[in-house]
This record gives sequence, C-alpha cells and structure tokens, in this order.
Amino acid sequence: MNSLILHTASRLLHPLLLLYAVYLLFSGHNVPGGGFCAGLIGAASFALHTFAHDVPSARKLLRADPHTLIGTGLLFAMGSALLSAFRGQAFMTGLWGGFDLSGLGHVSVGTPVIFDTGVFLVVLGVTLLIIFTLSES
Amino acid sequence: MTLVSIVAEVTLSMLTFSMFFALMRLAQGPTLADRVVALDLTSTLVVGIIAIYTIYVKEPVLLQAAVVLALLSFVGTIAFATYVERRGRP
Amino acid sequence: MLSLLPVLPIVIPLLSGAISLLFWRSLWIQRWIGVGGTGLLLLSTLRLLSEVERTGILSVQIGGWAAPVGITIVADLFSAIMAVLAGIIGFCVAVYSWYGVDERRQSYGYFVFLHVLLMGVCGSFLTGDIFNMYVWFEVMLMASFVLVALGGTPMQMEGAFKYVTLNLVSSALFLAGIGILYGVVGTLNMADLSVKLAQTADPGLVTTLSMFFLIAFGIKAAMFPLFFWLPSSYHTPPPAVSAVFAGLLTKVGVYALIRVFTLIFVQDVVYTHNLILIMSGLTMLCGVLGAAAQFEFRRVLSFHIVSQIGYMTMGLGLNSRLSLTASVFYITHHIIVKTNLFLVSGVIQKMRGTGDLKKLGGLYKTHPSLSVLFLIPAMSLAGLPPLSGFFAKLGLVIAGLRLEQYCIVATALFVSLLTLFSMTKLWAEAFWKPRPDVAEGEDEPRSDDEPMCLTMILPILVLALITLTIGIGAETFFNLADRAAGQLMDPTEYIEAVMRTRS
Repeated sequence: MNSLILHTASRLLHPLLLLYAVYLLFSGHNVPGGGFCAGLIGAASFALHTFAHDVPSARKLLRADPHTLIGTGLLFAMGSALLSAFRGQAFMTGLWGGFDLSGLGHVSVGTPVIFDTGVFLVVLGVTLLIIFTLSES
Repeated sequence: MTLVSIVAEVTLSMLTFSMFFALMRLAQGPTLADRVVALDLTSTLVVGIIAIYTIYVKEPVLLQAAVVLALLSFVGTIAFATYVERRGRP
Repeated sequence: MLSLLPVLPIVIPLLSGAISLLFWRSLWIQRWIGVGGTGLLLLSTLRLLSEVERTGILSVQIGGWAAPVGITIVADLFSAIMAVLAGIIGFCVAVYSWYGVDERRQSYGYFVFLHVLLMGVCGSFLTGDIFNMYVWFEVMLMASFVLVALGGTPMQMEGAFKYVTLNLVSSALFLAGIGILYGVVGTLNMADLSVKLAQTADPGLVTTLSMFFLIAFGIKAAMFPLFFWLPSSYHTPPPAVSAVFAGLLTKVGVYALIRVFTLIFVQDVVYTHNLILIMSGLTMLCGVLGAAAQFEFRRVLSFHIVSQIGYMTMGLGLNSRLSLTASVFYITHHIIVKTNLFLVSGVIQKMRGTGDLKKLGGLYKTHPSLSVLFLIPAMSLAGLPPLSGFFAKLGLVIAGLRLEQYCIVATALFVSLLTLFSMTKLWAEAFWKPRPDVAEGEDEPRSDDEPMCLTMILPILVLALITLTIGIGAETFFNLADRAAGQLMDPTEYIEAVMRTRS
C-alpha cells in the first residue's frame, strides 16, 4: 500500500510500539503485562511496517529470521528454568538477585525476567511468521 | 457521590449508547467499508469506556489495556484496508 | 541432578526443537539433531525407568510450589514405561525419517514438530495435574495437526480435517470435565483429587462427571463408538508420521483412561468399568471387521489399531491387578509392533510406489529379508507364541477367566482369530502372491524396485528385535508390568509421593 500518511504514521509509530512492548515486558512481573502481550505489541509494530511498505523491507528491519527468534526464545525460557535445577532447587524455581543503583534505589533481577524475555521472543517470532507467510501468499 | 463519579457514570452510559449504534452499523453495513469503519469505531469506544472506567474505579493499571487496544485497533484497521485494497472491491 | 530426572523427557525434546529452529535452513543439521535429541531422550527415559524401578515413585514440584497448589511431575512405573516407549519410538522414527520423509516436508520443519510432539507425549505421561495434562494434550495435538497436514496433498487435507474436528470436540469435553471437576472438588492435582473424591458426599455426580472423561479420552484413544476418525486419517500422512501416530498418540488416550480410572474415578466401579468393558468389546469387533473389508496396506493397519485399543481398555475394564498387568504389557507390545508395521508399510510404499494390496505382490521373492521383518510384528500382533502378543493376550484371557467374564474373553479370542486372518491376508497379498501384471492404461511395471536404504531398515530391525526380546524374556517384562499395575491398583504410594513436602 503506497500511502504517504501510512508511511509517516508507521515511521512514527514503529519505535513507539516497540518501546511500549519493552515497557510491558519489564513491568509484567508486578502489574498487567508480561512477555505474551509485549510480544503481540512488538509483532504489531512490524505488522504495521509490513502493511505500510512490504514484506521484504519488514524482514530487513527485523534482521533476524522469525524461526531464529522462536528458537532463541525457547532456549531463553528453558535456560531460565534449568538454572534453578543446576543450583539444586526444583525445576523452574525463580532465583532472585539484585544490585543497588546509587540514588535510584534497588533493582531486583531474577530468572522470571529471562523466562518472560523468552516468551516475548517466541510470541514475536510466531506472530511475525504467520503475518509474513500470509502476506507473501 | 463526587462530581467525578457522576460525570463518569453519565459518560459511560452515553458511550454504551453509542456502542449500540456502532454495533448496529456493524451488523447492517451494506458495504465492507461500512463494517470496517464500524469496527474501528467500536474499538475506539471501548478505549473510551476503559479510560472512563479507570477514572471511575481509580485503578490506573487498567489504562494500559486502553493503550494496547488503541494501538492494536489502528493496526487492525490498516490490515483490513490492505485486504480490501488487494481484493479490489469496496 | 536427581530432581531434574523426571522433567528431562520434557526438557530434552524442547531443547532439540529449539536448536533445530535455529538451524532452519540446514536440513542436514536438523536431521542430526533429530537423531541425537531423540537418542538423548531415550537414554534419559531409560535412566528414569531404572531409577523409578530402584527407588520408587519420583516426583518434582515445579517451581518449588508444594503439591495441591503447584504442578507436580510424577514418574511412577507406568509413566516411566510409557516414557521409555516414547523414547524408543521417537528415536527409531527419527532415524527412519532421514530418508523416509521427503525433503520438502523436512524443510517445512518436520523434525521440529516431531520434537514438539514427543514433548507433548512425554508431558502427558509424566504430569500429575489434570489440567496440566490437558495442556500437554494440546501441545501434542498442535504438533500432530501440523504433522498430519504437512505437505498438503488433497487426500491428506481430507484426513486432517476429520482428525482435527474430532480431536477438538474431545478437547472441549475434556476441558468441560476439568472445569466441573474443579467446581465440585476444588483441586486439580490428581493425587489430591483421588483423596478428596474418596470422601465425596455425592457419588452419583462423580460418576456423571467421569463420563466426560471417558468420552473425551475415548475419542482420543479411538474407542467405540467414536473411532471412525482414525482409519480415515492415519493412512494419509507420510508413513513415518503415521507410524508415530499409530504408536504413540492413541496410546496417550489409553494412558489417560487408565490413569484417571484407576486413580480418580473409582467410586462406582460396577458401572464405569463395566461400561468400559462393553465399549472395549465393541471396539475390538468393529476394528477387526472394518479391517477385513480394506485393501490398502495402511488402512488395514489403521483398523487394527482400533481393534487393539479394545484389548488395552479391556484390561482396565476388568479392573484387577492381573488384568492391569496384562494391559500395561499389551500397550508395551502394541506400541513397538504397530509402529514397526507402519514402518514396513512405508518401506514397501517407497519401493513400489503404492500401498494398494491388489497392485502389490511378489515381495517375498524379491525381498525375503524384509518379508521376515514384516512377519515378526504381524504374527506378534495376531498373538502367535512365542512372540510378545501371545503373552499379552494370554494375560488378558486368564484375567478375564478368573473374573468369570466369559463373554469378553470369547470376543477377545474371536477377534484374535480374525486378526490372524487379516495379517495372513496382508502376507498373502503383498508378499506371497506373484506380482500382478500391468493393469490397463498403465506403464510397464518397473522391474527393478527402488533400493532399500539402511537407515530405513535399521529401525525396523531394532523394533523387531525388541518384539522378540519382549516375547522371549516375557517373564521379566511381565514382572515389571505387574509392579506397575500394583502401583496403579493401590494409589497410596502415588499419593504419598506427590504430597511429600520435599521438592
């Protein structure tokens, strides 16, 4: 679709949507959000680009192949689940660590974040795979 | 009963009322374009309802749902538009 | 690492699938991961079985959340045996698929979905939570939907349509049953359900509820009266895929039936288990009579899956320790044998380009060794001594006679006879009779068949050897099955293993 409005809108909205996806991903542990809807929003931003331009340029923008995204995401999720098992705790137990940012407060980092990142990548990959395949056919 | 809650209640009922007409257009809509616009209107109304409801119950977390819906409904309408364009029929 | 052992059969296929996805473009690497990953799966399940056999039931509380609330992965002997079988079938089929599945299908991610399928199957075997079981069922079905439709020939699509529709109905029933069960009892952990339902005030409601599960699992296991989807879809995908389906998928349904009707729904045994018994008898008869009318290699075999399912659930319906032992033994024997028969049919189809019995023939003359490899599982299926099928059927018959259920025993023996007839038909038509002359309007028959490749024959050989081992060493396997049945009949140990607070 060759529309100037859409081109401009997609150029503005694409980074905004991605930023929002990342925000949802990290805020998901305490409030609504998380890997799944972050993945959907992220996929929507690329879908918008696909509609505004075409599939090859969206693929170029994504850089990674959707299959690779799915695979990496699964590895992330499994990695976070296995970490606790190697530490002698039950499979998939959340491990937490943290550090202090001077003046900004305490930051907690845990394996659930890695798991959520994995979910994010899988959802992003699967949705984009579907969208790309459908628009190419 | 504060002023805010009264306003919220009135607005919510008005939005619901408009939703009724939007859905009627969606069901009736002689052309596909009518339906697409009706669908877009519906989602915009839902965004409004969520926003008002957020104020009504004082739960800012719910606003995220409205933001997500607003962003996605835009993409959804565009997808519909491309589909209509590609089919070459209104 | 002991705490990781019960989850390894789930983790390994997932990791193999993920790594295969990373190498999407390279079929060669995907094949190696297919063989390596399933090989590791087999090793881990064997280790799991030996550990369970030595120390008793193993359980892991996922995420460290204690039993009735969190999800528990439990490996008792029955689950472990089933997991080992999944490992064996997975490995053999992965080796077979190297050349047994065409490159186009492989490039669409055949191996990835094979791994996901195996993950779902192992997950259903090992989970101790009924909702989690539903999730694993869905994982398995998702992968199987893709595998059954992959390649997309029109015949495949028609089969896939029936398969998908019926399985969705079954899933919906299963989910509805779970929902009501949770409403009644307020827990989803199977061990906890077993404890709480034993004290329930309303056994009538529980029996009604059990019907949801009976129908849902009955559809998945292809029991009478909802078995027709199986013969009309299993012969359409490539042979390697139908071999996995034939070996594992319906048996997951049988596993779920046995698990649920020995652990949870044991309030009204007279009603539920007699109903299962009647359904089993009808399943056997319908399957074998259907097979008699078929003239396509894999269609005949598909109908036989249905009839054999009847035997497995018959052991459950009789509901004694001996009959359950026979059931477990039967499942073991059947998974190996049935997969093997489908693999043989795949080799024949690849060589001759057809599975139609009327066009086949003379294979004994050209390929005597393959004929022997067919004969072993075929006769085992029919139940000829000293092959594994004989002992499986013997156990069921003795169990039936002890409980004085003469009607079902007579049915089982009669069906066994018909199975023998059907296998003889396959043998006579495909192997024994001279190769038919050219049909009108066709080219000259190719005088030289496509050569057999080693990677396709090797799995068949291994599976045939396993069949022989089960037959010759029947006592060892029977003892193992007996202990598994003991755990099933008396769920105290299972419940204790799940409720143990240590993770």
